[in-house]
Amino acid sequence: MEKHMAVCPYCGTGCKLNLLVEGGKVVGAEPLNGVTNEGELCLKGYFGYDFINDTKILTPRLRNPMLRRSRDAAFEAVSWEEAIQYAATKLSAIKAKYGPDSIMTTGSSRGTGNETNYVMQKFTRAVLGTNNVDNCARVCHGPSVAGLQVTLGNGAMSNSIPEIEHTKCVLVFGYNVADSHPVIAKRIIKAKERGAKIIVCDPRKIETARLADLWLPLNNGSNMALVNAFANVLINEGLYNKEYVANHTEGFDEYKAIVDKYTPEYAEAITGLPAEDIREAMRIYAAAPSATILWGMGVTQWGQGVDVVKGLSGLALLTGNLGRPNVGVGPVRGQNNVQGSCDMGVLPTEFPGYQKVTDPEVRAKFAKAWGVESLPDQIGCRLTDVPHLAETGKLKAMYVMGEDPAQTEPDLALVRKGFEAMEFVIVQDIFMTKTAMFADLILPATSWGEHEGVFSAADRSFQRFTKAVDAKGDVKHDWEIISLLATAMGYPMHYNNTKEIWDELRELCPIFYGVTYEKMEGLGAVPWPCRDLDSAGSKYLYEGNVFQRPGGKGLLFATEWRPPRDQLTEEFPLILCTVREVGHYSCRSMTGNCAALQTLADEPGYVTMNPKDAKALGIRDQELVWVSSRRGKVISRASVTDRTNKGAVYMTYQWWIGACNELTIHAVDPIAKTPEYKYAAVRVEAIADQVWAENHVQQEYAKLKGGLSNAVSRAVKKAPAYA
Amino acid sequence: MNRFVTANPSKCIGCRTCEVACALAHSDGAGVEGLAPDTFKPRIRMVRTADVSTAVMCHHCEDAPCVNACPNNAIVYRQNSVQVEQERCLGCKNCVLACPFGVMDVVTVPAVRSFAGMTLSLGVKAQAHKCDLCVGRDAGPACVSVCPTSALTLMDREAMDETLRRRRERAAQEAAEVAA
Ligand code: SF4
Ligand code: SF4
Ligand code: SF4
Repeated sequence: MEKHMAVCPYCGTGCKLNLLVEGGKVVGAEPLNGVTNEGELCLKGYFGYDFINDTKILTPRLRNPMLRRSRDAAFEAVSWEEAIQYAATKLSAIKAKYGPDSIMTTGSSRGTGNETNYVMQKFTRAVLGTNNVDNCARVCHGPSVAGLQVTLGNGAMSNSIPEIEHTKCVLVFGYNVADSHPVIAKRIIKAKERGAKIIVCDPRKIETARLADLWLPLNNGSNMALVNAFANVLINEGLYNKEYVANHTEGFDEYKAIVDKYTPEYAEAITGLPAEDIREAMRIYAAAPSATILWGMGVTQWGQGVDVVKGLSGLALLTGNLGRPNVGVGPVRGQNNVQGSCDMGVLPTEFPGYQKVTDPEVRAKFAKAWGVESLPDQIGCRLTDVPHLAETGKLKAMYVMGEDPAQTEPDLALVRKGFEAMEFVIVQDIFMTKTAMFADLILPATSWGEHEGVFSAADRSFQRFTKAVDAKGDVKHDWEIISLLATAMGYPMHYNNTKEIWDELRELCPIFYGVTYEKMEGLGAVPWPCRDLDSAGSKYLYEGNVFQRPGGKGLLFATEWRPPRDQLTEEFPLILCTVREVGHYSCRSMTGNCAALQTLADEPGYVTMNPKDAKALGIRDQELVWVSSRRGKVISRASVTDRTNKGAVYMTYQWWIGACNELTIHAVDPIAKTPEYKYAAVRVEAIADQVWAENHVQQEYAKLKGGLSNAVSRAVKKAPAYA
Repeated sequence: MNRFVTANPSKCIGCRTCEVACALAHSDGAGVEGLAPDTFKPRIRMVRTADVSTAVMCHHCEDAPCVNACPNNAIVYRQNSVQVEQERCLGCKNCVLACPFGVMDVVTVPAVRSFAGMTLSLGVKAQAHKCDLCVGRDAGPACVSVCPTSALTLMDREAMDETLRRRRERAAQEAAEVAA
């Protein structure tokens, strides 16, 4: 049996593992003693590898480039030459006719790795000539980046994952660590065993709420009010660190003026929390000699996400919990490499290494290195702008790599209209997906396990992963495909391996310069900033309490609480909040093709609800129900549990039948443009004929699966001899 | 003393990694691809109620109700554990009803016999189904080795003595505090 070192492709914890290979097939995974995982893996890490082997449980792997010359035609398998030539001709024509800003590309925060993302944004900027490149951070931690960049100067986790178990207080806000990052959950449990106090702010009784010293089940949509009340208590009870605030922060007076009205009593009405609990939480937080705030989608997926992020960083600033070990602010990145795609500049605002596209010196540096005269200076459009821009005719072509927006974006009906309105859509992926069904051209790439590269874990650590098996079929590495396309469009681009790409980008990004492949050999993990060849990187940011802002001080920021956008009415009386579950990842194209994970959870997924709501609607546990909003209607299975608060229901977003994003609203944060996935008004209805409903789910599921796999098998059957 | 696996509810996060590991450890080497919803029968189950998440499995009782209830002596004490002699199991389910923890089940598997190079189907065979402590697996209990939060422990005499010693120390400490 061979063993090949890899980094788990499922979450930002960045667990190191060995893929076990027998006869060219991956047959198992075993944990390695990586820096972040120390010999542990979770459900997905242990049992989430068999998708590589093309199990076809959910969807088939892509094996050939596939093209359809008109939208009503079927896909046909074509040669790489034809595929690349076709794409180059189309993109060049659209660029010539409508201008570079009519084309949009995406990076991928998933298995492809940092090098590919670097190449994708280089292609977008240097070859297409636009900053229209984005990644799915937009729909997750975009607000964390936008918010923290303003208040502290850096959008990432301030401290490292291993430090969590040494902090004396963990404030968990809108973050279901047990389901999102099980191996980080262990750190929190260990911290508690070492005497740390755990405070959890979440409407649901999530696993960490059960283990917490204090659980604050706030009303859905009241985050800003609670964070302001926290600040109010710290200030009015004199719990804040006056010296730290004086020396290392600015904006205190305005800040104090805004939070002044948010007394715990005032916040009680908005948050539904007893004023005394709000006080108690801050007394615990402020008393701890070291304290860490961790948050997730419960903070960011709101119309007011950026403000709340800024507010949370304010709590750390007020108490001086930054700039040293075992403290800090932690927006814990969900997808395995969403930190990486931001690091690599797959963002409409930034070049790799967080260098602004609006800075002429930066542009000149990149233009010179890439051998082009100039680079675009306008900020590009965001992923969440796409449906609107496509419908109004501003976007004409889209090149989607390794993402499935037709499953993961809000208000899917709107997304579909957007895709239909485009003139040309390329989807580059490892699986046939719902998004690929909208493509004109499908480009098949190698999967995690079939290529090597570097990922960024949630705590900024760069780690290498290696190839375990050879890819089957006529597929290429993502970065090879993009290079071929660039060359065909008249910009010769060629790399022999990922290390060449890495070394090119290191030279261009001062904060990554010291992170060489050699340092990341084996179990090596190097957290950026790492500016020198002899540096081991930075476990924590803001050393000496110097913030990366003009003047070097942290900004205290508060603003008024705004209620959520969607309106509860008699017709739609319940709040729908989308969440995730431990066994499935992202759009499920990977985990849905893993036998173990699909065994534990399959269509149509669950809508969890409180027993009181269920009883009022005549719904029993495990029954199929209709869930509808102003935007759509889907079938799901009721899970009736006391852990869910009354008045709200929760669905995970990876199901095709129980697709909660048919229901969610396209209301976005004004700055980060992140959608309000956490609050849509819905109605839940019992279904009298359960037998019909069960059959309906099976039929619809079979139809969708059949549609995707037929699209591939029909194309391949007609494949000429070169395939 | 019989050995057994215990779960610590203040560490369990309800992830079900243990369930999959258990099913795989009893898949006769079929690997993950052999797993399917209909045949997924782990011998350890994660239970989630309003206040608790934890895993439950056989306690390998010293005076086991299942052993006492079996009319055909199919359940025996062996290797410091409670084991089922599957050939003797009738599938009568007395043990299922007798087990106070709800961790004994009776399942049926296709029964076959090979005879002169031919495989004969013999209908179904009942099996009393519960944790066997992964006897025969070199690395020991599969569930214990995978649990990402170390919520599971294999208790043998030694581990039990250590736990008891710590508890007695704590009791003494608490008594002293009350007296003070
Ligand atoms: S999903 Fe996350 S926690 Fe689980 S093994 Fe992979 S990296 Fe580790
Ligand atoms: S693997 Fe551990 S944490 Fe997960 S359900 Fe089992 S006992 Fe609980
Ligand atoms: S010890 Fe083995 S048989 Fe028993 S519950 Fe754990 S994995 Fe299953």
